[in-house]
Amino acid sequence: MNALGIIFSDIQDWNMTELASHRSVAAIPFGGRYRLIDFSLSNMVNSGINKICVITKSNYRSLMEHIGSGKDWDLSRKKGGVLIFPPYAVGENHGLYQGRLDALKRVLDYISSSKERYVVLSDCDMIYDIDYRKVIKYHEEKNSDITALYIRTEIDKSNSVHKILYEFDEEGRADDILVYPITKGTYNIGLNTWIMNKEFLESLIYDAIARNYKDFSYDVLAAKVHSLRIYGYEYQGFFAHIDSLQSYYENSMKLLNIDRLQNIFYSKTGPIYTKTKDSTPTKYCKEAVVKNSLIASGCIIEGRVENSIIFRGVKIGKEAIVKNSIIMQHSIIGDNAQLNSIITDTYAHVNKDRVLLGYSNCPFFIKKNSIV
Amino acid sequence: MKLTRKECVVMLLAGGQGSRLGALTTKIAKPSVPFGGKYRIIDFALSNCVNSGLDTIGVLTQYQPLLLNSYIGDGKSWDLDRMHGGIQILPPYQRVGDSEWYSGTANSIYQNMNFIDLYKPEYVLILSGDHIYKMDYSLMIKYHKEKDADCTISVIDVPMEEASRFGILSSNEEGRIIDFEEKPKKPKSNQASMGIYVFKWSKLKEYLEIDENNPNSTNDFGKDLIPLMLNSNEKMYAYNFKGYWKDVGTIDSLWQANMDLLDENIFDLSDDWVIYSRHAEKPPHYISKDAEVKNSIVSEGAVILGRVENSIIFSGVTIGENAVIRDSVIMADVEVKENSIINYSIIDEMVKIGPNLKIGKAMAENTKITVIPRESVIKQEG
Repeated sequence: MNALGIIFSDIQDWNMTELASHRSVAAIPFGGRYRLIDFSLSNMVNSGINKICVITKSNYRSLMEHIGSGKDWDLSRKKGGVLIFPPYAVGENHGLYQGRLDALKRVLDYISSSKERYVVLSDCDMIYDIDYRKVIKYHEEKNSDITALYIRTEIDKSNSVHKILYEFDEEGRADDILVYPITKGTYNIGLNTWIMNKEFLESLIYDAIARNYKDFSYDVLAAKVHSLRIYGYEYQGFFAHIDSLQSYYENSMKLLNIDRLQNIFYSKTGPIYTKTKDSTPTKYCKEAVVKNSLIASGCIIEGRVENSIIFRGVKIGKEAIVKNSIIMQHSIIGDNAQLNSIITDTYAHVNKDRVLLGYSNCPFFIKKNSIV
Repeated sequence: MKLTRKECVVMLLAGGQGSRLGALTTKIAKPSVPFGGKYRIIDFALSNCVNSGLDTIGVLTQYQPLLLNSYIGDGKSWDLDRMHGGIQILPPYQRVGDSEWYSGTANSIYQNMNFIDLYKPEYVLILSGDHIYKMDYSLMIKYHKEKDADCTISVIDVPMEEASRFGILSSNEEGRIIDFEEKPKKPKSNQASMGIYVFKWSKLKEYLEIDENNPNSTNDFGKDLIPLMLNSNEKMYAYNFKGYWKDVGTIDSLWQANMDLLDENIFDLSDDWVIYSRHAEKPPHYISKDAEVKNSIVSEGAVILGRVENSIIFSGVTIGENAVIRDSVIMADVEVKENSIINYSIIDEMVKIGPNLKIGKAMAENTKITVIPRESVIKQEG
């Protein structure tokens, strides 16, 4: 397709102090074997976009390791493919970027030299499944400057501060945009995904350089809502916004529903791709009891698992009981340990006989590599 | 074409039909038969090569090669998409004034001498793509060099009563082979050939020519070429392999090898010697609140709503509500609908069963394994 994809891998890191302390939001493990960026990348690849630039500023080792040459997304190409942009100094712009617009200034060369007609900008903290070809068609029909993807849903004060809200006139053109407001009710929530013509994006960046604009949401969307033709494209379907440990937990638990699971992973647009790991299939021992759980490959399950998500290569010991929990890859749960409402990061080790208890609206988090 | 020289080129024999696997190999070649939840049989030989540092592999295909060809692709799943070497599929081909199928294992190598010569190797390793095992071939090649052998044959001790199913070797204290018999009625030893040979390429070439010019030869390694070399008093050694090795040439042995995975003391797939395979893009598997899974292996993308015991469940399998799977191998993308019961069976890929059906008889001494061929749709019993 005639579009360039740009993914911001870590624009929301500050929301996710636990899970993003040593990795970017893009590299947060999700759904048993994926990383959040897999959903953004797969959306683009399944829409026929095969030139993608991933912008990152810090903690990017696990992101780089995950993406590698891009071959697992079919993005190891002679033309296009995936390219990761760590901080990049251009002229007076040194140090880490502040905001999307600031980041885009650093990759202006790359954007200008691209031949694609359109650009799709996307974050990594939202999970949805869309064919961008339809959005681009709408973008053309409306002759818009910016087409923003949104979903109409209810929010409350606790999470509205991480969202951009749009109001549209009868035509579908935005007439008010609120950035990170404190409010509640039913709103058009932006999916932090925008479609533009490439040349228009370039002109925005030139303008931002001239006026020292750094923030796309405030300096472009909110400030220019009346002067630009900003249109909304409504998305309907499964949507998850991972903007806190709590929402990470709740949205993960939503996967424990067979219909939803089929919708997300066997959608019409295509599968969700991820890095392949060559783990063995999972082994259930004679005493294993597993109920309502999502289990990745390479695990050995000797104990009891209920309402939980188990990532690759996890070991659950004999008579251990894991309930309502998320156990990330290569964690070990010792014999006879009991866990309820726990999130363990990767390579955590819970020794035998330990009893760990969180609560469903306040899951307890165990850091990477820690030994309990 | 100038290519980097390779010390050892691997030739993997993957053209056999595997007729004793019956319905499982009517549409696909034996090396591409699925195994162990997410693998195909050929993954073991290919992964052994890569893990042994061998990166130049010719795969000889003839019988039903479509699935095998597309499975191997450019070899990237095994890290065999290389600048020099890598994996190359070698089907029979037409030459000026002449074209023939591979008439035997030795003939298939004879017809591809030009491929091997591209790399000017010192040694050639001959493998067959129909065994389940983990083996470091580099140790065998090292042994071959130490002995300065013309040919080294890998052997494994088998129970004496089964010895007549194999090629049986006798060797002296230094390991030099003094006798070889293909499937002997009265075996003289229990050292069975594993069908793994290292040759000095110059020597193999010489004997391939002699064998080819013998009109009475069946052009087979075990039947013709090995006895010929032995009779000519060439330096041939036996290399003792210790470890798990299973010929999965029959329905019973294929079923048993799958079940062996349920006990890591018998055969452990999860150690550092990784078996690589081509992946389906599937999410983790889902076990519902009413499901029960005991002593089984389950792969990605499976959805289990019923009961699974002592079984191997491949990727993308769906087991419906109240369905029961016991002592069975359920291959990729099979759908077992609600209330169906499957006992002691091998269900091949993409089969649809049920609802409310009984397949197979409960496992007992005299019951036979039930096999349902690829893509069958079974709605009624009988």
